[in-house]
Amino acid sequence: MSSYAYFFGCVIPNRYPGIEYSVRWVCGKEGFDLDVADIKDFSCCPVPGIFYSTDKDTWLLLASRNLTLAQDERREILTVCNGCLTSLLKATEYLQDPKNMGKVNRVLAQIGKKYTGVAKKSEGRRKVFEPVKVRHYVEVMTKDVGLEAIAAKAKRPLKNIKVAVHYGCHYLRPTEHQTFDDPNDPVLIDRMVEACGATSVDYEDKLDCCGAGGGVRSHVIELANSLTQDKCTNIAAAGADCIVTGCPFCLLQFDNAQKEFSKDGIPVMHISQLQALAMGIDPISLGFDTHHVSAHSLLRKLRGV
Amino acid sequence: MGEAEKTFIGGLHEKLVEDKIIDESQLEPGFAKEIQKYGGKDVMTCLQCGNCTGVCPISLKIDYKTRSIIKFCQFGLKKYTLGTRWVCATCYRCYEHCPADINPAEVMIALRHIAVREGVIPPFVKIAATNLVKYGQSVKPDPEIDKIRKELGLGEVHSKHVDYRHVLKEIAVLVHASKYDKLIGIEEEVKV
Amino acid sequence: MTSPEPPGKESLDSAPSKALGTAGPKIGVFICHCGSNIAGVVDCGKVREAAEKLPGVVVAKENKYTCSDLGQEEIIKAIKEHGVEKVVVASCSPRLHEPTFRNCIKQAGLNPYLLHMVNLREQCSWVHSHEKEKATEKAVDLVRMGVSKAARLEPLEAREVPVEPTSLVIGGGVAGIQAALDLANMGFKVYLVEKQPSIGGVMAQLDKTFPTGDCAICILAPKMVELSRNPNITLLSYSEVEEVKGFIGSFEVKVRRKARYVHEDKCVGCGLCAEVCPVKIDNEFDLGFGQRKAIYIPFPQAVPLKYTVDKERCLHFKTGKCMLCVKACSNKAVDHEMKDEVLSLKVGTIIVATGFETYIPKKNGVYKYWEYDNVITGLELERLLNASGPTGGHLIKPSDGQTPKKIAFIQCVGSRNKKIGNNYCSRVCCMYAIKNAQIIKEHEPDTEIAIYYNDIRAFGKGFEELYHRIREDYGVEFIRGRPAKLSLNPNNKTIKIRAEETLLNKITEREFDLVVLSTGLVPSEGSKKIGKTLSLTVSPDGFFAEAHPKLRPVDTAMDGIYLAGCAQGPKDIPDSVAQAKAAASSAAAPMMAKKVRIEPLTVTVSEELCVGCGLCTELCPYGAPELVQSEKGGTKARVIEALCHGCGTCAASCPQMAIVAKQFTDEQICSELESALVFDGKTHAQKAGHKKKAEAEV
Repeated sequence: MSSYAYFFGCVIPNRYPGIEYSVRWVCGKEGFDLDVADIKDFSCCPVPGIFYSTDKDTWLLLASRNLTLAQDERREILTVCNGCLTSLLKATEYLQDPKNMGKVNRVLAQIGKKYTGVAKKSEGRRKVFEPVKVRHYVEVMTKDVGLEAIAAKAKRPLKNIKVAVHYGCHYLRPTEHQTFDDPNDPVLIDRMVEACGATSVDYEDKLDCCGAGGGVRSHVIELANSLTQDKCTNIAAAGADCIVTGCPFCLLQFDNAQKEFSKDGIPVMHISQLQALAMGIDPISLGFDTHHVSAHSLLRKLRGV
Repeated sequence: MGEAEKTFIGGLHEKLVEDKIIDESQLEPGFAKEIQKYGGKDVMTCLQCGNCTGVCPISLKIDYKTRSIIKFCQFGLKKYTLGTRWVCATCYRCYEHCPADINPAEVMIALRHIAVREGVIPPFVKIAATNLVKYGQSVKPDPEIDKIRKELGLGEVHSKHVDYRHVLKEIAVLVHASKYDKLIGIEEEVKV
Repeated sequence: MTSPEPPGKESLDSAPSKALGTAGPKIGVFICHCGSNIAGVVDCGKVREAAEKLPGVVVAKENKYTCSDLGQEEIIKAIKEHGVEKVVVASCSPRLHEPTFRNCIKQAGLNPYLLHMVNLREQCSWVHSHEKEKATEKAVDLVRMGVSKAARLEPLEAREVPVEPTSLVIGGGVAGIQAALDLANMGFKVYLVEKQPSIGGVMAQLDKTFPTGDCAICILAPKMVELSRNPNITLLSYSEVEEVKGFIGSFEVKVRRKARYVHEDKCVGCGLCAEVCPVKIDNEFDLGFGQRKAIYIPFPQAVPLKYTVDKERCLHFKTGKCMLCVKACSNKAVDHEMKDEVLSLKVGTIIVATGFETYIPKKNGVYKYWEYDNVITGLELERLLNASGPTGGHLIKPSDGQTPKKIAFIQCVGSRNKKIGNNYCSRVCCMYAIKNAQIIKEHEPDTEIAIYYNDIRAFGKGFEELYHRIREDYGVEFIRGRPAKLSLNPNNKTIKIRAEETLLNKITEREFDLVVLSTGLVPSEGSKKIGKTLSLTVSPDGFFAEAHPKLRPVDTAMDGIYLAGCAQGPKDIPDSVAQAKAAASSAAAPMMAKKVRIEPLTVTVSEELCVGCGLCTELCPYGAPELVQSEKGGTKARVIEALCHGCGTCAASCPQMAIVAKQFTDEQICSELESALVFDGKTHAQKAGHKKKAEAEV
């Protein structure tokens, strides 16, 4: 199997460390024991809503810097966030144009770095380079680890738990990026939920946006919350016990917005937290204290109370 | 004046509208080319079919229409785009459905580039950029969360490490080389 | 290339005519003024003076309009007076008047291929109109080059090949039928090959046609029957063209007659076999809304009216049991042992009329065609509206069979969409939606109809009138906006369409009982195979490419192969019929003449030099060279002259230099180059150098 490098981004370590814990737990010795390392020098991906929006040159430089770190260690980047996925994946696409690569490398030389891509094989004296691979946690779990392996490790299947899956915009689009799932009919997170023993419920407008991205949450929070409210209404109508997503920013949005329009709210968690729960982790380690919407009712239901 | 007439005239609010007729003095020539410079594909191929507005989650909620923004860009009506530039969620639904293969989200991003270069910098952009330069992350560390990290047995946020300072220096070099510090106004933080 | 000769009198002799010996051919040079087109820029007098001094030139004349009767007579006179053997005409582009002048010198008794044209207009006076002196110098150079080449021209004979007075029409839709009828009525024999069990094509599936409301099958069926009765037409239905070899006048075609398992000469079309057949299948003709049996005719007016056994679904073929149809047939026409038959035909011309298919939206798309029952395509609507269709002409909702009260049409589905690659307009959808709206309103006047459009294209005769009527008399609503989202109300199955109504400047949601997608036209599946068989090129939209978009709309780049109908691009019935008639007329021309001239400007392969590498066969766009076993041993390339267009690609690429392009031999081209660069024994550079030296001395 491949060797990976954790890329946690900004939101998880600083707002939802429980996700970091569950990802490490699932990928580590207690879980699938993947060959994954920490690259301490990673910075913000950089967040597309701010940097890609205001200056593409800066965005590309910061992203390339992160990519060279993974390139030098010959590891694939394992992201747990839709935003980081889009930012880094787009950067690898931009860097396939030699003009862009040249421009970027001229500046990266000032900090002693150079982006070339990962050397794959040699044809005589010529080396063939492939762009650095950037992979989403869901892709790695379903394609590299496999759904059977996930189901096999689910020692505490989450029976009678109904889950509403929120894929998020940057998992699905732009469609050229989405190579591992169907952007019009995505199924992989649903399959992972089912492999963990829970039921994934269908709800109306499942593929709609949560409202947070592109700076909307920061700039016009009422607008973001209004979109979230629509989603939560549909999710509640489907009778879901919790919301599961692959993006911490969507999670942050769902987690913070519900108090504006709902008394109790539906708990939200990252797919890795759900997986860890099914694999038998002590729920305390999931860090639900940092979540605004309480997960008590969900955990009680799990315990059979 | 009889009662009926009073009501009639009183009921109709004839507020003088500023631009009843839009003439060339209100247009910005070359606006469409400027959009192309910052990555928005050729807006002139837009046929105004309205599919982008139909799928846009923002257009459903506020008085904003994706199609109209593209029209303003085609026409050079720059002033009509002001006030709409920071509401796009970049969900890319518009790009996925556009039959002319235009990317309206990228046009919004091009508009943001233009805005920032004219000195219109929303506070959240400046905050995020400052955080990046100070901590290497766009989200500022939180001491409460740090406590929980410790409880969970996770190490400190790696940006707090002593070794991380060289990363901040590298970020400062990059941000200075692309003149972003000047653009956003964070020169103070970026002392290279 | 030889180095420049030292200056001196000898150099004049060592100029181009050296290779020809001292008595070179007598060359006549005729310089045209072309009114003021050439003479206004180029000093034709100077050019003539220079031409007279060129080696081999016995006469040089100027003329105001050389292509006129007078001008041509002067040429003929000069040829006879001076014993001219090779002719140079310095005038306009050969694309205009080469045939004129070839004929002219032929009349004077010369071989028509001993003519060389020098372009002093498009390539000289017209592009250098502001530099008269330099233009004149260039004209002098060009004429010198032309004379040098003309001296080396060889006489060529145009070969004539006989043309078989038989035509092959591929495709039995309205275009194929019309072309076949026209050719047959002119007296030619026609083979019509149709891959379905019956002719008729898509037109047979339509209800009424726009703008007049004629019933499609009512106007088509008489033509279909006429075709079947015409003694000059051999109808090969349920057949496919497998292989085509040869060239114009003598195409060798292999046609596979698929086994019907019913003898055509015995079947009378009574239908008793179908009555007893136990297998029921969704009917392709009704697009899944109707049913047929495993032994069937596709529709009641089928021509030929002969039954066909569907091998894939017939119980006998699957399990060996059930011979009910055999027992029911009183003529013993059903025969499960029938085999495919391959016919070899020889035809003079081919008309390709393979038609189109409609676009099918993809799964999980915006329009939910596969997901919602009440979303149908335009062609499916035609079947539901058709009086002889699966519902007897009553429009019903597929979900519950009730009459729909509110119907939406969505235009431009699968057309004008760069995202999916169909970046063209399908031309008929605006009008067929309007026409169908009218039919629905005539049946059920209370139905509310809305048409979601991007642009309405009502370009043809009577179209605008119908577009006007549909709004004025029938109250159909036109909504400008491309639907963004379709959602289903699970209780009553109504479909909600969300779209931005651009003219209203608002996002609206409206509910409808039935949604009709006006799907566009795409090239038919079978046409791809035919394209490969016949080496036909396609335009960017995927339909077959015509030879010239404006002036040759029914020809292809392959002589003797013509296009008719939607095979060449989306069009409506009147245009298809018109194009079919044009194709028939074009095909008739060589067949009427009984012979066709093959231009001798082709290539020849030297078998001694050829090593049989096959590079020429890969490069030729016309499929002209083929590798054959030479009588002298070994595999050699041989060029089918009738297919060769003389483009020279093979000649330029042959690594053995075994291929020679007539009238563009290496010797001819090199002589032109030499005379361009060497003159008076000096190169142009040396001339310029002397000039500079002279200037410096002053």
